Amino acid sequence: MAKAGRSLKPFYVALGVVAVAGAALIVWAAGARAPAPIVMASCSGPPLGGVEPRGVSIGPDSAPVQITEYADFECPACAQFTVLTMPDVLRRLIPTGKLRWTFMDFPLQQHANSPLAHVVAACAAAQGQFWPMEYAMYDHQNDWYALDNPQGKLFGYAQGLGLDMDSLRVCVTQRRPWPRIEANRCTGERLGLEGTPTFFVNGHALGYIPAYDDLVRIVDSVSALAARPAAAPARR
Amino acid sequence: MRHRMAVALLALVGLLVSTYLLLYKLGLLGQIICVGSGGCERVQLSPWSVLFGVPVAAYGVAGYLVLLALALSGLQGERLASPGPTRWLAGLSGLGVLFSAYLLVIELTAIHAVCLWCSVSGVVILAIFLVSAGALARASRLPPAP
Repeated sequence: MAKAGRSLKPFYVALGVVAVAGAALIVWAAGARAPAPIVMASCSGPPLGGVEPRGVSIGPDSAPVQITEYADFECPACAQFTVLTMPDVLRRLIPTGKLRWTFMDFPLQQHANSPLAHVVAACAAAQGQFWPMEYAMYDHQNDWYALDNPQGKLFGYAQGLGLDMDSLRVCVTQRRPWPRIEANRCTGERLGLEGTPTFFVNGHALGYIPAYDDLVRIVDSVSALAARPAAAPARR
Repeated sequence: MRHRMAVALLALVGLLVSTYLLLYKLGLLGQIICVGSGGCERVQLSPWSVLFGVPVAAYGVAGYLVLLALALSGLQGERLASPGPTRWLAGLSGLGVLFSAYLLVIELTAIHAVCLWCSVSGVVILAIFLVSAGALARASRLPPAP
């Protein structure tokens, strides 16, 4: 037994070397593939790359009610709003033709994974899949927000939605939409946004997070006002 | 004895590969190193990367752990002379080869992408099977002990 144990020693050493080398390779691979963090620029200068702000919109341009939402993909309140309210907005309010909804990026400095999430969503938007991607990311927010690198998780949602993964990978790796995301964020900063989500109805800050019923009331009342003919001048 | 050492080393390599894939699947790596245009990522993100609610890579980790434990225990004391561990190694790795072949067919026909690391695992499990089955065949040709 002792003899067998001695003869096995080199084997156990070799096994240990392979185990340690393999574990080291995995750790190295994890670090080597971590993408460079996305750094938020100051909003005091000119727009990054001269890009103008532009959100992702749904609904007719001519809709009498224009709601703009500034949101951050790591923000829990934004997730709650998107998961609970947006499906009804998209399914029931947008088809009325009275509402145009615009999502504006407002990634917050304290949310480390938010910039990447905004990039992935914007790249999904380039394939016409922003709204399903937005829902998927918010619906699974707890699964990715705390990860060191959530790209694998986010790509999983994209693949589940049937996105062209080769295009998405190139778009995300090159951070193509980032200048526009920065432009959107800086627009929010200039508006003095203090938190997310923040909503503007025809340019006026709403001041609270609306439930679906609130949005129905807003859309009905604002579109009714818009439909009323201009008052005739008073006679003397 | 040598074949069990070889199986233990191969099982350790398989265990490392499966662990790498599992860590990626669990979102702990972020990105995966792969040759070609993202075949590993596409396979690992596909619905076929989960079986009965468990990542396929986790089956690999469990399977290689069992093979490693069997091979190491087969190197101890009286088990060294017993053909039992080798039979188990050949049987289990045979199942592993079939499972790897099934996964390769899924990759080629349903996902239309090949995952390099899954292929490495497939080669490793095939090697374990060949080594174990070869040892069994050699043992069966030996004259019975007096």
